[in-house]
Amino acid sequence: MIWAAQRLAVSLLLVWCVASIVFLAIHLVPGDPAELLLSSGGVAPDPAAVAELRERLGLDRPLLDQYVAFLAGLPRGDLGASLVDDYPVLDEILLRLPRTLELIGAGALLAVLIGIPAGTRAALHRGGAFDRFASALAALLLAVPVFVVGTLLVLVFAQMLRWMPAGGYVPLAQDPGRHLLLLSLPALAIGKGLVAVVFRMTRTAVLDMLARDHVRTARAKGLPPGRILRRHVVRNALTPVLTVLALQMGSLLGGTVLVEYVFNWPGLSTPLLRAVEARDYPMVVGIVLVISALFVLLNLVMDLIYALLDPRVRRA
Amino acid sequence: MRATRRSLIAGLPFLTLADARAQRAPGQFRFGLSAFPPSVQAWANTGTAAATVKLLIHRGLLSYDTAGKLRGELAEAWSNEGAATWVFRLRPNAVFQNGDPVTAADIRWNLEQMAAERSTAFYRNEMQGIERIETPDERTVRITMKTPVATLPYWMASYHMGMVSRRSTPQQQIGAGPFILRGQERGTFMDLAAFDRYYKPGLPRLKDIRIIAYADETLRVAALQAGDVDLIEYVPWQSMAGIEADSRLTLDAVFGPFMYLVFNATRGPLADARVRRAIAHAIRRDDIVKAAFFGRGAPLEGLPIAPQSEFFDAELARGWHFDPALARRLLAEAGVAGGFTTSILATAQYGMHKDTAEVVQQSLAAIGIQAELRLPDWATRVNLGNRGQYEIAVQGTATDNNDPDGISNLVDGSLSPSYVRSLGLRVPALEEAMAAARAEFDPARRKVLYRDAQRIALQEVPICGLAWRSQGYAMPKTVTGFRNMPGALSFFSGITLEETAIAG
Repeated sequence: MIWAAQRLAVSLLLVWCVASIVFLAIHLVPGDPAELLLSSGGVAPDPAAVAELRERLGLDRPLLDQYVAFLAGLPRGDLGASLVDDYPVLDEILLRLPRTLELIGAGALLAVLIGIPAGTRAALHRGGAFDRFASALAALLLAVPVFVVGTLLVLVFAQMLRWMPAGGYVPLAQDPGRHLLLLSLPALAIGKGLVAVVFRMTRTAVLDMLARDHVRTARAKGLPPGRILRRHVVRNALTPVLTVLALQMGSLLGGTVLVEYVFNWPGLSTPLLRAVEARDYPMVVGIVLVISALFVLLNLVMDLIYALLDPRVRRA
Repeated sequence: MRATRRSLIAGLPFLTLADARAQRAPGQFRFGLSAFPPSVQAWANTGTAAATVKLLIHRGLLSYDTAGKLRGELAEAWSNEGAATWVFRLRPNAVFQNGDPVTAADIRWNLEQMAAERSTAFYRNEMQGIERIETPDERTVRITMKTPVATLPYWMASYHMGMVSRRSTPQQQIGAGPFILRGQERGTFMDLAAFDRYYKPGLPRLKDIRIIAYADETLRVAALQAGDVDLIEYVPWQSMAGIEADSRLTLDAVFGPFMYLVFNATRGPLADARVRRAIAHAIRRDDIVKAAFFGRGAPLEGLPIAPQSEFFDAELARGWHFDPALARRLLAEAGVAGGFTTSILATAQYGMHKDTAEVVQQSLAAIGIQAELRLPDWATRVNLGNRGQYEIAVQGTATDNNDPDGISNLVDGSLSPSYVRSLGLRVPALEEAMAAARAEFDPARRKVLYRDAQRIALQEVPICGLAWRSQGYAMPKTVTGFRNMPGALSFFSGITLEETAIAG
């Protein structure tokens, strides 16, 4: 229990550090939100209007005051309001975070549905035509950047074949069919790297299992091959695969930035990019804080699970 | 091919996709904008995407027809009384979207709010130039300026001058335009519905409009080609040829916005007008058009006065023609025959700014001026520009209207420092000529004054014109009534959505 409390405290400290660094960094880079807002369209803003807006947005206050106000709001869940349109940052995050997580979840699901069967088949027919083709494809998927794949998918399926919409979003409750249709291409784009990783891990793990003594014994006992594969090979091979999958899920958060942009998927990336461009400080800090907290939470949960499964981790 | 259970199952997803692709709300028109408007507050400047939506929701006293001529909106007639007074006669049937009639008192309230001390209205300074507003009856507004302003009707036609009901709140402004904002999802889409009591009989022709933001220009074009949207703005130059070649689509493009250079004239060789003229004559503008705009532009060799304008002068428009020999002579006269080192501020965030800066850099190198490129993100570039932390800077914009007075903001060195104009570069004769033209009501005399202003500008180079750039909208051929407005009015094109219709 003490160990878990220590881990929790360290996690909270990490989140505070990230929030503070981002808060200070975004305020230190050049650019004035009021000036930018009133300069839209390449026009000269009236300095009096800029000064008025700065005062209204609280940007004329000392940085330390702004930082203290930011920290004071955190325990209440108050992340402030957008400097651009006064919209609460937390509401924006609550609206968009589920979409980003849905995209990541769909990518991971594709990775599981494609990577595990393909990796198993490739291992079972090691050196065969499928193994060679799938291994080469996996290398290609890992090598090609996500925005290239995304753009190609749009070009082929939306512009040339006209089978799919080019991008966009419809809420699931409003139109489930169209929602899934719009999700499919970005999920493919974001999941392609993970498919390759899962394929490779599965292939390696299955090959490793196939050479183990217990599998040889099962064969010698005359068990049906399908049963050996399901119960003694794949089941045991999945442990490292799922561990890697869980670790990779966090890194997919970074990949969503490009995918959401290319497919116009209104997740967290769009407001984050827009906020950085507009120097919308509360929005940038709020979104980065939530993403960091998610990372830290994921790691914390993993640590706790490992500790439960293996007491040596706690002692270490 | 034999139909098997397996092939049927394989084909099912695509049958489902085909059904889903065809879905579209009946009568809904879908417009793919380049950005989601940060706000549609009537009087504030929040960018051109917001301007399009504002032109759906709001109407001002005046606007423009498709030829670029002023036309009445909430005001059906207008005229000047003496030198400083303008009178606007309101339509009898104009109502706000809450059903209240648009009265002279409403117009007075709007103008006073714009001019207020704590206002962030784009035209606050201009409205503070009003001496008094009289409303002798419900339909007459008499505006007397502190000094004569011949261009006041152009201000009243701006999309920043929409009139709103006095019952508006900061969160919800009630306009008098053809469409009502029905709903939105921040950053994604806006839904607008036709206002059934709009003052123009039979308009708007569309029942519903959905505004969808596509920040990625490639995706915006893909969405049009895939049939996801019925109209897109900011057609990327590299896609224009493909759209023109597509028999299903129409490209409507005009030369409106332009690129130019500004100078920090507070120090060094750039304080000398001969050096600035040398730069103006050294630039290969054709290369800018090719490199930055895929040939979809035109060289701008003078002040940015559109050829459609009645004040356009063909000879003066070529005042800064490419002449490297003259450029070298001017450098020698200025005492820097061997050239000098300097820097060019642009931004890497927008390709057209970066590409333009690169061509300028190469052109200057050819006459001995070695310029280092500085390419921060846009926010930093604006910040550096406003603080004068640059030597030469690349800038792009469009003027507020096709009248040369729109250039004043760019060339008047008496105004506050801004990234859109040169720093420390005052040309009193030019400022006087522009001010005189602004106060002159006789068109013939205004032409003379603007010709004088152009001659002075060609010598002093308060800014250096580089290139007109093509501003395009694209739509299926089934869309009718939408027009890209001429010249600087391209960003006013949203006003034609009231007459837009779509077949099928």
